[in-house]
Amino acid sequence: MRWIIKLDEGLAWVSKVCGWVACIAMILMAANVFYDVLTRYVFNDVSIAMQEMEWHLYSVVFLLGIPYALRTDSHVRVDVFYTNWSQKRKAWVNLIGALIFVVPFAYLIGFYGYSFAQDAYQMGEGSGDPGGLPHRWIIKAVIPFSAVFMATAGLNMATYALRVMAGDKEYEGEHSAGGLA
Amino acid sequence: MIGMIMFGVALVMLMLGFPVAFTFGGVALFFGIFAEGMDLFAFMPYRIMSVMQNTVLMAVPLFIFMGVVLQRTRLAEQLLTSMGRLFGGLPGGLAISTILVGALLAASTGVVGASVVAMGLISLPVMLAHNYDKRLATGTICASGTLGQIVPPSIILIILGDVLGLPVGDLFKAAVMPGIVLIGLYIIYILVITRLKPQTAPAMPPDDSISRGKEIRDALLAIIPPLALIVVVLGSIFTGIATPTESSALGGVGAVVLAIIYRQFSFKMVWDAARDTVSVTAMVFAILIGATAFSMVFSYTGGDYLLEEWLLMLPGEQWGFIILAMLVILVLGFFIDFVEISFIIVPILAPVAEALGINMLWFAILVAMNLQTSFLTPPFGFALFYLKGVAPPNVKTTDIYKGILPFILLQILVLAMIIIFPEWFGMSATY
Amino acid sequence: QDKFTLKLAETWGPNFPIFGDTTKRFAETVEKMSDGRLTIRIDSANKHKAPLGVFDMVKAGQYDMGHSASYYWKGKVPETLFFTSMPFGMNAMEQYAWFYHGGGMELMQEVYEPHNMLSFPGGNTGVQMGGWFRKEIKSLEDLQGLKMRIPGFAGEVFAEVGVNPTNIAPGELYTALERNTIDAVEWVGPALDLRLGFQQIADYYYTGWHEPATELQFLVNKRVWERLPADLQEIMRVAMRTASYDMLVHSQHENAKAWANIKQDYPNVQIKQFPEDIFQAMYDANKKLLTEAAEDSAIAKKIIDSQLSYQEQSRAYTDISERAYLNTMAEVE
Ligand code: NA
Ligand code: NA
Repeated sequence: MRWIIKLDEGLAWVSKVCGWVACIAMILMAANVFYDVLTRYVFNDVSIAMQEMEWHLYSVVFLLGIPYALRTDSHVRVDVFYTNWSQKRKAWVNLIGALIFVVPFAYLIGFYGYSFAQDAYQMGEGSGDPGGLPHRWIIKAVIPFSAVFMATAGLNMATYALRVMAGDKEYEGEHSAGGLA
Repeated sequence: MIGMIMFGVALVMLMLGFPVAFTFGGVALFFGIFAEGMDLFAFMPYRIMSVMQNTVLMAVPLFIFMGVVLQRTRLAEQLLTSMGRLFGGLPGGLAISTILVGALLAASTGVVGASVVAMGLISLPVMLAHNYDKRLATGTICASGTLGQIVPPSIILIILGDVLGLPVGDLFKAAVMPGIVLIGLYIIYILVITRLKPQTAPAMPPDDSISRGKEIRDALLAIIPPLALIVVVLGSIFTGIATPTESSALGGVGAVVLAIIYRQFSFKMVWDAARDTVSVTAMVFAILIGATAFSMVFSYTGGDYLLEEWLLMLPGEQWGFIILAMLVILVLGFFIDFVEISFIIVPILAPVAEALGINMLWFAILVAMNLQTSFLTPPFGFALFYLKGVAPPNVKTTDIYKGILPFILLQILVLAMIIIFPEWFGMSATY
Repeated sequence: QDKFTLKLAETWGPNFPIFGDTTKRFAETVEKMSDGRLTIRIDSANKHKAPLGVFDMVKAGQYDMGHSASYYWKGKVPETLFFTSMPFGMNAMEQYAWFYHGGGMELMQEVYEPHNMLSFPGGNTGVQMGGWFRKEIKSLEDLQGLKMRIPGFAGEVFAEVGVNPTNIAPGELYTALERNTIDAVEWVGPALDLRLGFQQIADYYYTGWHEPATELQFLVNKRVWERLPADLQEIMRVAMRTASYDMLVHSQHENAKAWANIKQDYPNVQIKQFPEDIFQAMYDANKKLLTEAAEDSAIAKKIIDSQLSYQEQSRAYTDISERAYLNTMAEVE
């Protein structure tokens, strides 16, 4: 049990770091779009590189946000039966779902995403537009990275479920997106 | 046929309560590997990449950020409660305010994930705090958050213009009246339902300590700043300062500026808002990615060809064709998303409609009305998932499913009105 | 006898006029000529969701074939740029002559071979229009800081003379032009531009210079090609060449029809040509960019040299044939 707790906490830390990077990207992206509008309207100046940076940052926001949201249990569920189930039953749903849905899905995206990014690296792919960003492989590589973290977050879901089964932890109500609204 | 079975399985699996996004992805995974083998998933990076490069979807995190900041600084609450107060003793004031704000947002973005979530953040807590019925509150938000699909500028209309070869400007103009009628009917519905069941949407209690005149003055004063923000967002689009997507960034930055003005600003507030935004954005995009895996397996296992075959069996007589075509789109809208319908179904229906002498502009508006409903129909209506994703735990999926029904009926009513009385909307059914 | 099915990914959506008709015609021809031994299954962009991933998907073998345009791969393999159309370059007839008789095909294979693919001409749009402008461009001054949706190499030429090339999502292009977020949009030609409704919001339609003969492209995975028996390879070759020719004449037909419609229904639209000083500046800018490209890559230099010398020779004849004839017509009408 002790090593499961250690593993659980270690995996949780990985997802948190993803969330942290995604938050930074989120703030930078809002500033980036705002800056682009401002320079275009006020100074009549357009930079394709800055415009492309927008979607680079936006991609980081959701690709690294997905593992983070797995950790915070922010992914929406249909709660017709789920809310009324016991902790143990919820843990079983999450354990099995994590192992047969999340991890294999992440594995396939990571596996094929790796060659996708590698190909871009080998060709030295960049933007085809005037003044666009070089090194397209970097943003493409975020796909397999996201998949790796999705897989660790999936394992984390499983370790957490084991802790719940052992009575060491509980699912705090049912809180998609932390009941933000 | 595999595609159809997959829908059934996904429906059952969703009920188990595992996150929607990964249920879609996981079910797609099993059916995909079983039918086509692992290598089918080599397409996934391309599909994810096409989401990454779809810059219109940037509006999702940006509008959510605006919504979270407005919520965290309580400016959203101030806007809606003040608007509600203006309605005085009238029940349903908050719901009507929500519809009006939704209509304003609709004129800026057409991205449902952006507006439903932003509206959910802005107005759901306020309505619940004022003891609104959960179903009425969630139905109102989903319906008004989806208005952006029909109210121009709208992505559905642009796609339909492309698929049907119609000028976008004509489509935008033609969609204005149906949009206004829909908004009007939503408001009338709120007025009627609150008269019949006042407890579902209690009136804002009047502040007895001050006169009604002062109350109105205070309310107007309180509305101005947040409303000004929305006006800036809209104004930036109308004056061409920003594209609709970019305007959402002005909204986010503007909300932070408002927070500074109202002395609500702190770096922690911005950081917390970014964190909430990341969570909710991730929820929305995980669904998009799960759904794209799902639709990939559906079409690569021949689902699209099967649909084509079925559609070619529609009757070749004007009214029978229109009614059945609308039913088919409505039913398919339960399961597949509007882009798929626009690209797979509409090109099959269009030549038949053209041969029947049907006015294509009218036909396009019918399809667009119908497609915006597809975001709202249980069990797979994405707007419903998005709202559920930001709703507090005591709001159940079933509340949202039930809450949206009256609004779906209203949409079908408007659809029927456009079919039967096209001249009311400045159109004609035939050339 | 063995039967074959090749899966083709196209950059366009289903039923995209002219471009999509080309792949359909190609598939029909192949099927009939081979008496059903070779079938082409066309997957449009709505299915594979990767309009600009066609290169990679054919390279990796996820698709056997592709239909796209070579200049989309400029960011991946810069030399692919030259096989679509070049600013101030050859017209369609001259360019086809270069491909089939002037060494163009060989150079194209040299560029695509390392990527495990064969490339064939895939249909031509003819001269593309120079774009929709909301205000008239009278001098170089008017181009300074002008915000225009103009991608790729032509965008670089425009940038050299002071234009601000701007990225706008296709879904927001109409709104952006209508509300002056941008000042101009370059698209294709009357038949396809009409669908996006630019004629409703922009009055000035400029004649083209930047894509005088936009050639589309069939891509075939090399291993797939080598697996085909010689007779089917020949059927493919003939079908691709016929489909390309069909697209050129189909473009002419549809554009002429659409232009007649615009003239009748949108009298606001005026055809304009850039003044000479602008053309001269763009011509010089183009030359400079080509010189730079030639310095960067030996194979680019080889292609540019081949194209320029071929164009010189071919144009001299065009001058005394096509041009002379059109000039004559202009005098008597
Ligand atoms: Na809209
Ligand atoms: Na073009």
